[in-house]
Parts: sequence; C-alpha cells; structure tokens
Amino acid sequence: MNDLSFGSALRSKIFYLLIFFFFSASFFQLFKMQIINQKNYEIKSEENSIKEVPIVPPRGLFYDRFFNLIVGNKSAFTLEIVPAFYNKQYNSIIEKMLEVPEGYINKIFNKDKNYSKFLPRKIMRGLSPKFIAWFEENKSQLKGVDYIVEMQRDYSYGISGSHMFGYTKEISLNQLKLFKGIYEMGDYVGNNGIEKTYEMYLHGIKGAKLFMVDSKQQVIGRYENGEQDIQPRKGYDLVLTIDKDAQQIAEQLFIGKKGGLVAIEPETGEIIAFVSAPEYDLSTFASFTSGNQWKELINDPDKPMFNRASMSQLPPGSTFKMIGAVAALEEGIIDTNFTLGCGGGFQFGNRFFKCTHTHGRVNVIEAIEKSCNTFFYQIILKVGFDKWSEYGKKFGFGEKTGIDISEEARGIMPNSSYFNKVYGKNGWTQGYVVSLGIGQGEVSATPLQLAKYCALIANFGKTKQPHFLKGFVRNDNNQFIPSNYKQIDIGISRKTMKIVREGMFRVVNGAGTATHVKIDGINVAGKTGTAQNPHGQDHAIFIGFAPYENPKIAVACVVENAGYGATHAAPIVRSVIQAYLQKEVFKKNQLIAKKEAEQ
Amino acid sequence: MKVNYRLQDRFDFFIFIPLMVLIVLGLLGIYSSTVNHPTANGNFERQFSWALISMIVFFIVYFLPPQVFKSYSLTGYIFSIILLILVLAIGKTVYGAKSWFSFGFAGFQPSEFAKIGTILFLASWLSKDNVDINDPKTLFKCIAIGFLPILLILLEPDMGTSMVFMVIILFMLFWKGLSLFGLFVVLSPGIVLFSSLFGKIIMFIMLALILLVLILFKRNIFTSVTVMVINLGTGFVFDIVYKILKPHQQKRIDAFLDPMADPLGSGYNALQAKVAIGSGGIFGKGFMGGNQTQLRFIPQQWTDFIYSVIGEEFGFIGSLLVLTMFLIIFVRLLNLSKQANGSFESLVTIGAFGLFFAHFAFNIGMNLGITPVVGLPLPLLSYGGSSLLVNLVMVGILMNFYKSRRLYD
Repeated sequence: MNDLSFGSALRSKIFYLLIFFFFSASFFQLFKMQIINQKNYEIKSEENSIKEVPIVPPRGLFYDRFFNLIVGNKSAFTLEIVPAFYNKQYNSIIEKMLEVPEGYINKIFNKDKNYSKFLPRKIMRGLSPKFIAWFEENKSQLKGVDYIVEMQRDYSYGISGSHMFGYTKEISLNQLKLFKGIYEMGDYVGNNGIEKTYEMYLHGIKGAKLFMVDSKQQVIGRYENGEQDIQPRKGYDLVLTIDKDAQQIAEQLFIGKKGGLVAIEPETGEIIAFVSAPEYDLSTFASFTSGNQWKELINDPDKPMFNRASMSQLPPGSTFKMIGAVAALEEGIIDTNFTLGCGGGFQFGNRFFKCTHTHGRVNVIEAIEKSCNTFFYQIILKVGFDKWSEYGKKFGFGEKTGIDISEEARGIMPNSSYFNKVYGKNGWTQGYVVSLGIGQGEVSATPLQLAKYCALIANFGKTKQPHFLKGFVRNDNNQFIPSNYKQIDIGISRKTMKIVREGMFRVVNGAGTATHVKIDGINVAGKTGTAQNPHGQDHAIFIGFAPYENPKIAVACVVENAGYGATHAAPIVRSVIQAYLQKEVFKKNQLIAKKEAEQ
Repeated sequence: MKVNYRLQDRFDFFIFIPLMVLIVLGLLGIYSSTVNHPTANGNFERQFSWALISMIVFFIVYFLPPQVFKSYSLTGYIFSIILLILVLAIGKTVYGAKSWFSFGFAGFQPSEFAKIGTILFLASWLSKDNVDINDPKTLFKCIAIGFLPILLILLEPDMGTSMVFMVIILFMLFWKGLSLFGLFVVLSPGIVLFSSLFGKIIMFIMLALILLVLILFKRNIFTSVTVMVINLGTGFVFDIVYKILKPHQQKRIDAFLDPMADPLGSGYNALQAKVAIGSGGIFGKGFMGGNQTQLRFIPQQWTDFIYSVIGEEFGFIGSLLVLTMFLIIFVRLLNLSKQANGSFESLVTIGAFGLFFAHFAFNIGMNLGITPVVGLPLPLLSYGGSSLLVNLVMVGILMNFYKSRRLYD
C-alpha cells in the first residue's frame, strides 16, 4: 500500500499522533491545574463565593483604680436595611419613626454604593423601644428591614467623666485613609479623651460572619453553618487611675457650677479625679446624635463641650504665691527669718498694689498662711522676673503636662522676652510684674497644671507625668499590664519645700484662709486663690493636698465666677480628699445626709 | 464457511461501555449543576428522557440493513441542506444564532442532522472507484459538498459547528488520500486566517512561509498563483469577517487572544471554568459539593462547560476518567476504520471520528484554557437532546457496520 493512498498506515499514524498530542496536552494541563496550582484556584474559588460581613467587637471597658467598672457596654438595637430587598417608598415613614431628617436613609445608601446590595447597611444605632414596637407591628411590610443587637457604650455607673472619657464617633474619611485595613466605613472610633488616646487598645479585633454568595452576589446562606465564622476579640479593658468615689462627689458638687477639678496622687502622677463642669451627656453620642442635639451643645453659652479641667487658662491667683516663695528661698534671697511689713498694700512707683488685710510683719510661712499680697509683690521683684518665671516653668507652668488625652492647653508663664514680644521692648515696666507675684495679670494656668504643681509641692518636687491609664488588661490572657510614666524631679531642696509646705499647712490648720477645710483625722494643707476676672465675678481657686505627712492626694479646683476660693473651691476639695482618703467615714456621712434630706 | 459469532463480535463493547460511562457522567453533571437552579431545574429529567429515546434510536439504527446508509446518503444530504435553508428562514434564535427549530416541548438543530448527512454523502461520493482526490476538479467538488452546509451554518451564524464540519471534511479527505500538496492547499488558508488573528506582522511572516513552500512544491505557475491569491485573500478576510461578526462573537475572539482583558465579560466563563476545575484538586469537592458549580458562577454550565462540573466535583480522577473514556473510543474508531468492510464504511468511521474529536478537542480545550472559547458541546455529556440523539445515531451506524463486517477466521 502506498503511503499516500487511501487509509494508509501513515495516515492512520498521523491520526494516532494527533490523539496522542491532544491527550498529553490535556493531561498535563489538568495535572498543572488540579494538582500543582490547586491551592491558587481554591483560593480564587473561595474568594468568589464567600463574603465577609464584619462583626464589630465590644470596646474595652474602663475600670477605676480599684477595679470598679466605670464605663461599660450594653446591648442596643441597630437598624439594618438590605437594599436589594428594600422598597425605598418606606424611607419617609421609617425616617419619621426614627426622628431623623428626610433623606437620611438615602444618604447612607449612597455612601457605600460599591458594596453588595445584598449585604445589610447599618442605618441607626440605639433604637428606641417605641421604634422597635412600631417595627414589630409593621414587620411584614418592611421587607429587607431588620434590627440587630450591637454593643454600645454604657455610662450608667454613677459618674459622668465626659471630658476625660470622651466619646466615639463614626470614623472620618481621613482616619479611614490613615488606618487602612483596620477600620471600614461606619466604624466608630474614639473622638476625644481617653477613648481617642487608647483607641488602639480599645477597638479590639474584628470578627466576620461568612456568607455564601452566588455569582450575582446574592446571599445563599451561612458558610459552613457559621462554624468558620471568625469570632471578634474584645478590646483591651483599661484600668484607669480614677477613684470612682472621689470623681463622683466632685461631679456632684460641681453641678450648677462652671469650672474644673483635678486630683493627682503626688508620688505617681495618677489622676484620681478629673472634672470639667458643666458636663455633657456622653450617652448622647453612644448612638445617633441629631443635628438639634449638636446645635444645642455647641451653642450653649456655658460651653459644656469645653474641657475646663485641662484647657481653661485662668490666672491662678494666690495659689501661685508659692512660686515666688520657692524661688526666693532656693536662690538664698530670703530665709524664714526674713520678714516684710504689710501695711495693707505695696506702693510701687506711682501705683499702689492692695493687700487683703494689714498683716504687719510676716515671714514667708506667715505670708503663705495669711495670703499676704504685700509680701509677694516684693518677692517677685527681689527674685527678678525671669528667675521667678524659671521657677514657674520648673513646676510645669506654661507648658503641657503631657497628660494622656489630647485636649490640653499650655497656659502662660510670662518672662521678660514674652513681655517684649507682647508689649514691645520698652513697652512694659516692672509695674507690670508686681501683680504676677500674686498670680494675677498676664499669667494663666489650667486646673491640671495647678494640680501637678500642688502634687510637686506635696511630694518635695518629685512626681510622675500626670496620667489616666494605670494599665490595661490583655484580651487574650487577662493579664494586667501596668503602664510606666516619666519620673519628674524638679530639683528643689527639701528644706525649701518644707517651708512652703508648712505655710500651706497653716492655711488650713493655723490662722489661715481655709481653716474650714480641716478634716478629722487627716492633716490637710492647701492654698486659696481668687483670680480677678475683669468680665465678671472672680474665679474661686483652691489647691490642697493630704495627708500632710505623707501626701496621697493633691487637688486643684477652679470654680468660675464664684467669688472667693476659700468659700467656693475649698469645700469641694475637702470633700474630694475625704471621699478618697476616708471612704468609710465619707460614705457614712453621705448616707446620714441623705436620710436627713428625706425626713 | 460459517462463523460462530459471539456477542462481542456483533456488538462493540469497546465503544459501548465508554459511551455509557460518559452519558452517566454527563447526567450526573447536569443533575448537579441544574437541580437547584431556578430556571434550569428540569434539565436533568429532560436529558434523561432524551438519553432513553436516543438509546432506543441507537438500537433501531444498529439493526437497520447496512446498505441503507449508502443508498440514502444523497437523500439525507439534500434533506439536510433543505433543513439548513429552512432554519435560516423560520428558525428560532438562541444565543445569537438562528439555528433551532422549536416544537414547543423540544428543540431541534438541523446542523446536528446535517453532520450525519454530510458525512454519509461525502463518504459515499469519495468511495466511488473513479474518484481521484488529488485531481484539482475532484478536490474542488469534494470541498463544495462540504462547503455548502458550512456556508449555511456560518450564516446562522454558528462558528463552532462550521469549524466541526471543516475538521470532518479535512479528516475524510486526508483519509481518502489527499496528497501533501492537496493538504497544503486545503490547510494553508486556515493557517493564514488563524495567524492573522495575532496581527499583521505574524500574518505576513506566515504568507512568506507559504510562498516559500509553494515554490518548493514546484507546481505549474497557474496553480501556484491561484493558491497564493487565495491565501492572500484569506489573510485579509479576518478583518472583514471580524467586522461582520456579531459583537458576542467578536468578544469570544478577543477573549481568546487575551482572556484576562475582560475577566467579567466574555473571558469570564472560561476563567470561572478554569477556577472550577483547578479548585477540584485530586478527588474533587464531591458530588453536589462544588461551590463554583452550586453557586452558579458559570452560566449555562450544563451545556458547554459540563466538563468543569466534573472537574470541580470529581477532581483529577473524574476529569481523567472522562479523558480516558474518550481516548478508548477514539482509538477504537481508528482501529475500526482500518478493519471496515469497504471504503464507504471506513470513511464514515473517520468522519465520525472527526465529528467527535473536533467537539471533544474544542470543548475540553476551552474548559482547560488551551484553545479558544468556541461554543461547542462535549459529545455525550453536555445537555442537549438533539446533539445526544445525533451522536448516538452516529455511533449506531458505526455499530451497524461492526455488526455486519465480515469476519475471517
């Protein structure tokens, strides 16, 4: 048979070759796909068909220094709508029931258009029982609408702490870019206060519910019955330095007042109480905040959103006298034998600077005890403006304390170069300086700075950076991790401190200005102050620490537009000290007072 | 001398058993991919009924007198052509091709029937004693017999099926004894056409090569020039045809040239089929367990992508089983083509081989991503009643030949 003829062996062989070639190619391709590259294809296949819906973990809780819960979480209802099944004609009725402005739902839908239409959108957190009741009645018509249980902040533990805790807020687009991968649209993050500073500890690790979706992104069901769902991990609980009792009484005493109070443990810098009044209700921000609520808060003339405890900068008044005293003593300009005569004021040039009383001859201790202005007008001149300012800076005035919330002001601790800048090189005289000696005029401090100053005096010039965080509890092994802070030693001699402290002791226990602050069983030391206010009533200031021998708490309290510090600020400090140091006595007294009020 | 025929001498189990295995695998794949489908969930029952009908027809064909195929081949061919013209006039358009007669309960594609008609007629024509395939006039007539249905099918338009016809005709001419030059004349325009898909430069290189080969053949100047002109013409045919093609067909060509260019468009099916097969692994995800299949990532998977259902749910083992069954059938067909009673039977066998192989190679190649996306079903497995029926009639004819072959002992 010719090779070219009909049905020849050669032609047959060519067909066999063709089959062989094709089967080999198919075999190798199959082998490559199903055995070598199987993993890649499997990943692709799963990405194809599994959609993750994040589960937001509960935020870490806040405990006080004795592990009392002060900020918790509670379950609340969140409204969800699945756009694919939802009829937009119900927008207006739902918006009306939610008491939100028209177009609210559409706005949320438009925000994440690229998201699968078959996955739910969170419409509103913290649904009212009224809404739930209405929804349950009309459920059958409202296709695609449902509510889920979510955790939200619970502030029902007896203290407000609005300015230190801060609130959480829906993440901004900028933050989203900054923390790509950690957060997504609609997540809540700390907006201010501790919530903001420790966001990274608090937010926890997101989990995910896995759903099967088909090629049209339609949800078909749970992936492996939810067995493969990723459980969220709760955020780290924070143990704060706050004492719930001290904080609570301070807040109560500040009701109806404006001002700030900060209490610090002198040795450690731990903040025991931190109050800015008026407070605002944090639970307003735990769920939906309406435009009206916002406006009300922003436009309130008392500025409840303003953190007075670490942001308000007022002249410290007589509480500042110890700066001059320390400076003069440390520089060897005076000692306890040095006296100045007080005839009710001090004539400097053609100006007369008044004192509250005629104190006669006083040494530094008595001058503090009786708050003699005449003495300190002259001390600042003797020490020198810039030297005096240096000592003020040592105590932390004019700069931030570095507290672990971002809302903090630095205040003003003036010196000659500052005045040169403000008034021009020859635009001011020593007359401008005199009143600084008693903490009036162009000097300002925050309550937090005053508390730190008080703590430094109490603890002989040593403390740590003021802070709220004692430590955190890890979410994996419940281990408590204490945090460490910078040691501060301003290098003032013990001898000087002793003298100043004695003056402050006598303010309360001698013939001083605040003898009514005395507490049975505890030696309290302190200093009153009144900041002159050209715009209205003076601001009342008091700083104090206790026990005198071994200080455990240093408090600074400013009550705006109240009058004398001794009258309006000192009693609050007294209560806070007692609440902290004499818990049993304090609680008993409170109970008695409550019963009396009932009768 | 009387020979005692055993059953296996009358009935070829080498073809019948793989055939049954493939039909069963196909039914499993159809069941898995459609039972939960909102619109296609009756497909398994329909295909199962068609399989039963097809088996009955298969045995009818098997028991027919062997002479009928040759004697009615011209009638069959003419009938096929009439049906192909009719479908263009009154047919139903499915997926952009006017290729169906609809009878309400079932559809019927004349192009399927035309496969048998063309194979039988071309075989009977080629098996005439006085046919010299290498005579240009004869070759032209042969090509004309094949080209008529191809033209009509291209008008539907159904690229895939017309390509199957080309393969069938090429295989049969080759088997008949087409010379190297004849083969070159038939094949070269196809090569030029294919190369033109990859750009003008490659096409011109190919044309230059063809010119070189043409010179080496040292044929007379008239023949050489004619062949070269045809080749040059086809080189530019692609651009013209591409413009005539429907957008969905253009996209299929684009998708083959760069499947990743539009992963959610026309390359999507092929890509998802690959993902389905690849993710199956060695043993597969189990019957009804493939997420690509169950979540309906591949549209119309029960038709052209049935292999990906098997690949995903039965893994490498299942995929290889399908390949092996086809391999057995193909090798057996080639063996039968050599043992056939006459050249008619032999040519029909090769025609059937061409039919099955073209479908098989284009379909598996598409599923595995080694050939372009051509919409062709996988014989015996893909959903489709008339296709299954025609395939079983074809096998029935071959078994009929087998039954009636002379055995020498």
